Amino acid sequence: MRFWTLLRRDVLVAWRKKSGLYQPLVFQLLVVTMFPLGLGAGAQTLAKISPAVVWILALLSTLITFEHLFKDDYEDGSMDLYYLSDMSLPMAVLAKAMAHWITTGIPVILFAPIIGMLLHLPNQSFGILLLSLALATPIFSLLGAVGSALTMNLRNGGMLISVLVLPLMSPVLIFGAGAVLESTLGNSAHSHLLMLLGCLVLAISLAPVTTAAAIRINLE
Amino acid sequence: MNRIVKFYHELGSPPSFYRITQHWLKPVLLLAVLLGMYGLIEGLFFAPEDYQQGDSYRIIFVHVPAAWMSLFIYLGMGIAGIMTFVWRMKVAEAVMMASVPIGALFTAITLLTGMLWGKPMWGTYWDWDARMTSELILLFLYLGVMGIYSAYDEDPRKAARLASLVAIIGLVMLPIIRYSVVWWTSIHQGSSISLMGGASGIQDWSMLRPLLVMALATKFYYIYVLLKRAQTYLMKTEQNKQWVRNIVSPNDAKEVSS
Repeated sequence: MRFWTLLRRDVLVAWRKKSGLYQPLVFQLLVVTMFPLGLGAGAQTLAKISPAVVWILALLSTLITFEHLFKDDYEDGSMDLYYLSDMSLPMAVLAKAMAHWITTGIPVILFAPIIGMLLHLPNQSFGILLLSLALATPIFSLLGAVGSALTMNLRNGGMLISVLVLPLMSPVLIFGAGAVLESTLGNSAHSHLLMLLGCLVLAISLAPVTTAAAIRINLE
Repeated sequence: MNRIVKFYHELGSPPSFYRITQHWLKPVLLLAVLLGMYGLIEGLFFAPEDYQQGDSYRIIFVHVPAAWMSLFIYLGMGIAGIMTFVWRMKVAEAVMMASVPIGALFTAITLLTGMLWGKPMWGTYWDWDARMTSELILLFLYLGVMGIYSAYDEDPRKAARLASLVAIIGLVMLPIIRYSVVWWTSIHQGSSISLMGGASGIQDWSMLRPLLVMALATKFYYIYVLLKRAQTYLMKTEQNKQWVRNIVSPNDAKEVSS
């Protein structure tokens, strides 16, 4: 019950703030413009690198949103209340990560086809792109929660979050971008997607507990 | 059994850790230097040439021991991290934080010597081969532990606990990252160049011996630097305690007591 209350509250806060919703998308659009400019716009070159670019953009645009995942709650004291309430801390973390996924993950998934189209991603790959991002964006949010909790009372922890979180994301990137790449070559992306699913299961089971441990240390 | 338990508990207390390890420093350093000199001289001058790579294979005597150490120290750091996290032992904190820069250094040496070796052998300094890539990611993991510790510099105990959490996460993730990277390269490059398969590729005892000696030498070097750094760490974090004062200025302590 409290889980849903917290989830609703976070989604509402993000919705009213708006900036968190479109910032990643604007970032993606800006960066994607740089690629043809830098590459000298051969449609074929673009299509070749498009799986990687779409994926890395999704990853980086989520990365910039992590810093405030717990920081605001820590600063206004809500974090102490989650800690003191009888709701289990990992569940609270899960609710917050899920709210983060709804407010940044889903927009990123929905925006990805546009980025793919701009980069001439082959038509047969759009389905796999959506599917792979649907599996991976929750992992982004969960790993981001870990990094965010570790750095929540630092004044500028943004860079540190990248150092902490990006190496952990590398398997997700490998399997996700790999799935899209396989589909552009006309191969089956089945095994990659299964590995992504495995990563997701692992992240859901381990990340909330780890995040809760980091929050406890930080609040002590 | 009792003695072992007592020894373990003694090692857990900073003053007796300092007292006990103080006796180990010199012999360990001596062993590291002697073994290192023997291994390097034999490896660089007396071991036979490789039939394919000629003399340039000799960088193996630095490269491979450093690569072993980069993983070994990560494991040590992770175990000390678990002890820090679960039991909040000060000595475990010291051992963990003392391990991090040494491990990062060995990882950097591995990468650097690997690049120098790659240029004459593969014709390129860098190839995104599975081992190189995962070694690079290992360096990032070390940097993450260092980064989180230095970010919380006003509260070293909290910093150490957060760093231990990062170390544990890294320990869990390392195999996953490692295998996904191996899998990634097997997809991308059909004929990835494989490095010499560690010691298993070497048949000649006169080549293997200096390599194993160097592996031992780096272990002793690690133990020496680890103990020294852990001692310094403990003295720094406990600088207001009496035992540290006694060590730093023994005369003052006597005057106060007399």
